Amino acid sequence: MTEPNTLLILPRLRIQNANAISGNLTWGFPAMTAFVGMSHALERKCAAAGLKVSFPAIGVVCHHHEAQVTQGGYQRSFHLTRNPVDKTGKTAAIVEEGRIHLELSLILEVDLQDERLSGKAEQAAFAQQVADLIATLRVAGGTVQPAMPGQREHHPWLINVDEDVDIRKKQLRRLTRQLLPGFALVLRSDLLQQHLEVKQQQDPDADLLDAWLDLSRLNHECRQVEDSVEWIIRRDHPGWLVPIPVGFAALSELYDAGQVEAARDQTTPFRFVEGLYSIGQWLSPHRFERFNDFLWYVDNRLDTGTYRLNNDYSLNQQDKEF
Amino acid sequence: MAQEPGARSAELRQLMQSFIDERLAAKLEKLEPDDPKYQELQLQYQYENWIEDAARRVGQLQVVSHTLKATHPDAKGTSLFVSPDTLTAQPCGVGSHLLEKDYATDVVGNAAALDVYKFLKLEYQGKTLLARALEQDAALLAALNDDVLKAREWLDAFSSITDNKGDVRSSSRAKQIYWLTGDDPTQNDHFHLLSPLYPSSLVHRVYQHIQHDRFSEEAKAARQARRDNKASETGYADYPNLAVQKLGGTKPQNISQLNSERGGNNYLLCSLPPVWRSREQRPPLKTDSVFPRFVRSQQPRWLLVKLREFLLSNPPANVRTRTRVDAYIDALIDEMILFSAYFQQLEPGWSADPDCQLVEAEQLWLDPMRAAQDEDFAARRMAGEWVKEVQHRFANQINKALGKLPVGDGEHSEWMSRVHKKLNALREVLDD
Repeated sequence: MTEPNTLLILPRLRIQNANAISGNLTWGFPAMTAFVGMSHALERKCAAAGLKVSFPAIGVVCHHHEAQVTQGGYQRSFHLTRNPVDKTGKTAAIVEEGRIHLELSLILEVDLQDERLSGKAEQAAFAQQVADLIATLRVAGGTVQPAMPGQREHHPWLINVDEDVDIRKKQLRRLTRQLLPGFALVLRSDLLQQHLEVKQQQDPDADLLDAWLDLSRLNHECRQVEDSVEWIIRRDHPGWLVPIPVGFAALSELYDAGQVEAARDQTTPFRFVEGLYSIGQWLSPHRFERFNDFLWYVDNRLDTGTYRLNNDYSLNQQDKEF
Repeated sequence: MAQEPGARSAELRQLMQSFIDERLAAKLEKLEPDDPKYQELQLQYQYENWIEDAARRVGQLQVVSHTLKATHPDAKGTSLFVSPDTLTAQPCGVGSHLLEKDYATDVVGNAAALDVYKFLKLEYQGKTLLARALEQDAALLAALNDDVLKAREWLDAFSSITDNKGDVRSSSRAKQIYWLTGDDPTQNDHFHLLSPLYPSSLVHRVYQHIQHDRFSEEAKAARQARRDNKASETGYADYPNLAVQKLGGTKPQNISQLNSERGGNNYLLCSLPPVWRSREQRPPLKTDSVFPRFVRSQQPRWLLVKLREFLLSNPPANVRTRTRVDAYIDALIDEMILFSAYFQQLEPGWSADPDCQLVEAEQLWLDPMRAAQDEDFAARRMAGEWVKEVQHRFANQINKALGKLPVGDGEHSEWMSRVHKKLNALREVLDD
């Protein structure tokens, strides 16, 4: 992806009760698909409000999180909610849901299309208008909280990314500094693939699932040093790597609209799918070298029924010398 | 296998017969021989009667790889059996397509018919009756009944267990997600409606893997070895912040067979962001500079040690070396910016505290929002002299940390000038 022309920064949103269960195999932070989906909903809201703009990509920086979990022994369980009884007066079936409070900055790539914003005031008004629309949406299942009284208010702003490389670099530095301290998620499918090769050297039968699990845990290993032993935690790759969902893969044919009973609507083609997982990395914004390092976008392969997101960090990454 | 088909059929028949006999024996055990139920059961468990009934009841079950009810116990709709080898290979994605031949299949439907599923899971020569039914195994066909038509009818009934029951349907309690497939989210026809099902077979493999890592004898022995500081060939693995989600509450069997085997426990791997250790950081009071604290903190200290080691190794004066030194300095500057961000998050005006003894340049740098409430402060910040001062203090601290390098004076000053040149970039960063 080329660098974006325009970015909209929505700094320090407080999101209450976002969905902490991101898939059937992962928890801890909402799936990036939830944020990308929100940007599509936002685009529809904007259109309804007369703003003809689109948001081709989105990035998320997490400044603070507070997972609603309890720890018992070595595992976490989710705080449960007491739900209303069903119509017969019996306790409704329990569906465990995971919640997390978040403080996030959202960075939206903006395609202004025919929207003409001349001058700072108009840009600020536009940014505020979009921010007001976001406040009406669910963000990853959570609600956007207004700033607490007495707390510093954070205003959204627009960045016109310059064509000049040096100016652009300065703009990036300035932005990333404003996003500190925090962490943004980037995609590291490259490391997953690389790790598979490492695992296969030890065990030719190892598959991607083994490599994925290996990267998702702490591996304690023991090695002989002289006449004694030393226990270490094996680290094959530096960085805070985590398992994440990245999209969906088809399980069924694509059913025509109206063919599937109890679908949400009778006008959209329907498909059964399962989640697809990969490896992500939490990265401090000051490590970014390009704007699209932290932007995520839809990258489907419809011919094979693959509905997934992509992020270009690993493409941009050049190996540092140390 | 040079075995007569007839002999295989006979053994298969024997296998099925003994399964039925065992079940009958278990039931009869509790009854007196003169109980009227006694005879009734004997009749019911005659081979032909039992199989006939099983072939009927199998319609209440469905063998699946992906279930709906795990999403919500009250969801009624389509669950699917999807063989992993029919799924698209995803080069960089983890999913059910990775499952090999011997994966666990799940079963949903009427729990009262689960004995039929147990029957179909009977193994003969490494292959279950179900697998044989699915591939229309001739030996099984011959074993089922001498009447070919009857045998065929039963075989078809059993192999239909993986078929979807009834029309394709979702549920208002299922997850259904609008996914953009075109390029314009304002157009309704640019979306597909995706309904994720629960990948029970895949989950089961992950579950068994984690159970093994946590509770196997091998893992226990390795943990003990670690505590005793003894050697271990295998090592062990921890899953930090592993979460357990309960599916089906107190009745996991209502969700599916495999869910019941897992006790309703669904393991979730953790992807929480890192936590800022300095989250509760207090203002830097009673010190005139934050830099000593900076060079003592983990990452900067590590970078400085590495840089010093590198310079001590007498690297050749070439582009590669220069790039490397630059990279170290860049990383240090990055760390310093991150370090400063902690303080910039504090309550604006903290530097006005009488106990704050920071030199003014550092106050102006680390408490930028004080400018909004303190005009004098704002004016001095605007004047910008502090930028040079902060840069100078940073350079001094780096010099000090690198110490005296026992290299020729010429080379030393070459590297130091390199460091300083790079630090000029810092001014740009501070000055906005």
